[in-house]
Amino acid sequence: MTRVFKYIFVTLLVIVVQTTMVQFLALQGITPDLIVIWIVYLTLCEGQLAGSIWGFGIGLFIDLVSSSFLGLSALTKTICGFVAGYFYNENKTQMILSTYRFLVVVLVAAFVHNTIYFVVFTRGTDVSVLRAVAQFGLTSTLYTATMGLLPLFGFARKQMLSR
Amino acid sequence: MQRLFNIIRDFKEYVVLALLIVASLLLLSLNDNTQVRAIRSYTVALVGVLQDAVSVLPNFFALQRENELLRQLNVNLSDEVSRLREARLENIRLRELLGLKERLPFRLVPADVVGKSLHLQRNTITINAGSADGISPDMPIICETGLVGRIVATSSRYSIGRLVLNVDSRASAKVQRSRIVGILAWEGGELLQLRNVSRMDDVVPGDLVITSGYGSMFPPNIKIGIVALAEDEKGGLFKRVLIKPSVDFTALEQVFVIAATVDSERVALEETYSKRK
Repeated sequence: MTRVFKYIFVTLLVIVVQTTMVQFLALQGITPDLIVIWIVYLTLCEGQLAGSIWGFGIGLFIDLVSSSFLGLSALTKTICGFVAGYFYNENKTQMILSTYRFLVVVLVAAFVHNTIYFVVFTRGTDVSVLRAVAQFGLTSTLYTATMGLLPLFGFARKQMLSR
Repeated sequence: MQRLFNIIRDFKEYVVLALLIVASLLLLSLNDNTQVRAIRSYTVALVGVLQDAVSVLPNFFALQRENELLRQLNVNLSDEVSRLREARLENIRLRELLGLKERLPFRLVPADVVGKSLHLQRNTITINAGSADGISPDMPIICETGLVGRIVATSSRYSIGRLVLNVDSRASAKVQRSRIVGILAWEGGELLQLRNVSRMDDVVPGDLVITSGYGSMFPPNIKIGIVALAEDEKGGLFKRVLIKPSVDFTALEQVFVIAATVDSERVALEETYSKRK
């Protein structure tokens, strides 16, 4: 139960950071998605089912807070958690978190997440699907994966200290 | 049920994913912005393409239902065709009867044949008109094609008629072409007989035979039939003349009774003269 509260607390913290501070890191309008990294972490720790549910809950919360496009974040973050769940291994959680595999998972999950998000988000505009995927989806994915290095270093350091 | 639960448990990640995606899509559908409108139009187009593709395949249940409806329609139409055909035939019959009624100078009482016997020695018909309609015994019965017989018994609403195809039936008849007179009788079979025709008389097959009007029962010039056979009797003084009735008794459905009473003065005179002789 304590773990759940801890997750909720961190979730709120990540959302606050994402909505207030990440905009300062924007490059050509592209920003990293810290929430995706957090969902990947949750999924790798708790499994695919929990990752999907957490993804949905976090996404729905963001949708309600932002009140821009209800349901879109819930959909994409649910799928993000589900995709990350394919890399879940109960016995190798720490190993995955502290190696390049974590970046691979973030990369894949963020790519799927961003592709769906931007394809849907740019419908009804003159932005083509290809441009939505390449310009917004791919660059945001790479930026998010780059930001994934920070927790990766943290996990690796923690892993080293524990030895 | 247990099996279903087992399947759900085995694939719980996918089941949950599907439920969450459905919930998300439902939430998405609540939006009314450009993106959702565009997605809706794509969805409609996609569904249209899929429906077009699927419509090539026959829908078994729809075909079965359509088949049932068509069969029902077929039965209804067949029934209607049958009724229309019947109405057409009745129309033709009634027109002929109407023509007959206009031709004859008598009051005619129309009636439907409600019972008949044709395979006995004494064949009769029962009609649905009786004394309440002005019918009384000895009145002639005719139809559009000729002489049928005469009334022998009546009740208020029904009457029994003796057909010419009856061994007790007699009528005065004549050959229309040569005016040869004879006695119409029947002894069984499909043909009538014209008796008392001399070997010298001019009667040939194909001659039309009509009522003569010499008897007191039947008015003159009612068609009886066509001479089918006319040959000399061996060692006799008369011809054997057989007549094919003009009336198809097997198909007889509607008749007229000639509401003409017997001329009692004429009958009385004839009887008086006969007694004197």
